[in-house]
Amino acid sequence: MVESVREKEIIENITKNFKVDVGIQRERRIWVKSPSEDLIDLCMFVKNKLGFKHLSALSVTDWPKKGEYELTYHIWSYDDKILITIKTMVDRENPEIETVSKIWGESSQIHEREMHELFGVKFKGNPDLSPLFLEDWDGPAPFRKDFDWREYVRNEYYSKDNDRESAYFGRD
Amino acid sequence: MQGTMEKIDDDTYELFFGPAHPGSGNFSVKLKVDGERIVSARADPGYLHRGFEKLMEYRLPLQNAVLSDRICVLESLAWNLVHAEAVDELMGVEVPERAKYIRVIMAELSRIQSHLIWYGIISIGTGFDTGFKLAFGYRDFILDLFELITGGRVYPAGYICPGGVRRDLPESAEEKILNVLDKIGKMIDFERAENPANLARLKDVGILNLKDAIRLGATGPVLRASGLKTDVRKEEPYEVYDRFDFEIPVRKEGDAYARFQIGLEEMEQSVGIIKQALKDLPDGDFIAKEFSKPKLNMKIPEGEAYIRNEIGRGEAGVYMVSDGGIKPYRVKIRGPSFLHIIPVLEFLLRDAQIADVPAIYWSLNGCPADIDR
Repeated sequence: MVESVREKEIIENITKNFKVDVGIQRERRIWVKSPSEDLIDLCMFVKNKLGFKHLSALSVTDWPKKGEYELTYHIWSYDDKILITIKTMVDRENPEIETVSKIWGESSQIHEREMHELFGVKFKGNPDLSPLFLEDWDGPAPFRKDFDWREYVRNEYYSKDNDRESAYFGRD
Repeated sequence: MQGTMEKIDDDTYELFFGPAHPGSGNFSVKLKVDGERIVSARADPGYLHRGFEKLMEYRLPLQNAVLSDRICVLESLAWNLVHAEAVDELMGVEVPERAKYIRVIMAELSRIQSHLIWYGIISIGTGFDTGFKLAFGYRDFILDLFELITGGRVYPAGYICPGGVRRDLPESAEEKILNVLDKIGKMIDFERAENPANLARLKDVGILNLKDAIRLGATGPVLRASGLKTDVRKEEPYEVYDRFDFEIPVRKEGDAYARFQIGLEEMEQSVGIIKQALKDLPDGDFIAKEFSKPKLNMKIPEGEAYIRNEIGRGEAGVYMVSDGGIKPYRVKIRGPSFLHIIPVLEFLLRDAQIADVPAIYWSLNGCPADIDR
């Protein structure tokens, strides 16, 4: 197949320049695992040299057992019709990473703003990380695995003394 | 345009567009205006935030299929499909041929009704009331079909579920779909007629050039109206889209009128796709064996999947991670409107006139629900 040839080319190109783990997940899906220090160089390379111009999504996965956040950047190439997923780990307690908003512009800026609000990841150099959805929220980052929203709602909005509402306590 | 007005200094005012505006949806834009000119705009989402990504971590895939209806009210079947495909890929489910065809038919019907809403809302926003009434009237024929096939008019309750679809097409469905498509053809003819009201309000308004469109993350009709020929259905064919013959409408102008025209042409293409799919519709099962009698403790194998689909508004994506449990470990939902009506809208409104706000806003066909999922 023509496509898988191009996918191999891209992978060779990346491993020639960076010391990273790479792999083909399936047709049109490549993943790259990069240390967080190399992220900006890798992203620059992927966008400018390999033509991945569309940052489709930015996601964070919380792994409390490892004590890490996994950041995944999903980038689509309009020329090659391939999606590359760049993964990098950051410390969960003090999540900080360099912004990619200088590379992909406003589209990445807004994705980072969302992830900052939901997971508390600080993107250094991002011009605007103000809250997007949650008004007047000063609790922990709500999408962390150890934030139990059921517990939170019970404690904040239900009363044990109330006959009907006490039924919610001690239930999962 | 309603809302509160606050005087900031002698020259500029702050003006709210939404969130209680009848057309803006549950979403507002804060405009800083100097006379009639907009100095800057700031989108303010969150009016509808429900935290679906987190809710899905607590639920089984079949429950999540129902939840996925609500990601975008106006395109629930399309979102059903994205979610179902993510689970299918993670679980390695072989979806039966017939189910794939039914999925395509439903997704395209959903695109047509979504584009009818688009046409209706852009018409009423620019002062053409007849267009609004006609479009919503014709959309009702499609909702009748949804009721017949899925049981729900707006929310299909997870009709497109992991493994296939929940029910087979009823016997009368094929004939009724063809009937409705004829009616939609009449509506398209009506929309095609050159309308001075639309021309005057939309032409040369809100111009987005290709370079800005890519930088701001535009996808789907908005990007195609700026001149890039791209469509996930062609570039990364999911289900059985590679078997159908259809065109990708592209325009170069990048203004509101071009986006409006793209919507129109796409409806025509969708009608063609549905007709082809109905002609080739194979017999057989409509749901995979694992899911026809699903067990409650079905494990999702460890892994991850990123699914992209072309829905009416642009590129929809679901990134699903599983750690081997019965519930997904993390679900990320990527909605097209997240980029269309935050960065793109803010960019287009800068230096625009107040009178052009509705035309620009509705030409982007935003759905606040998929930002605030």
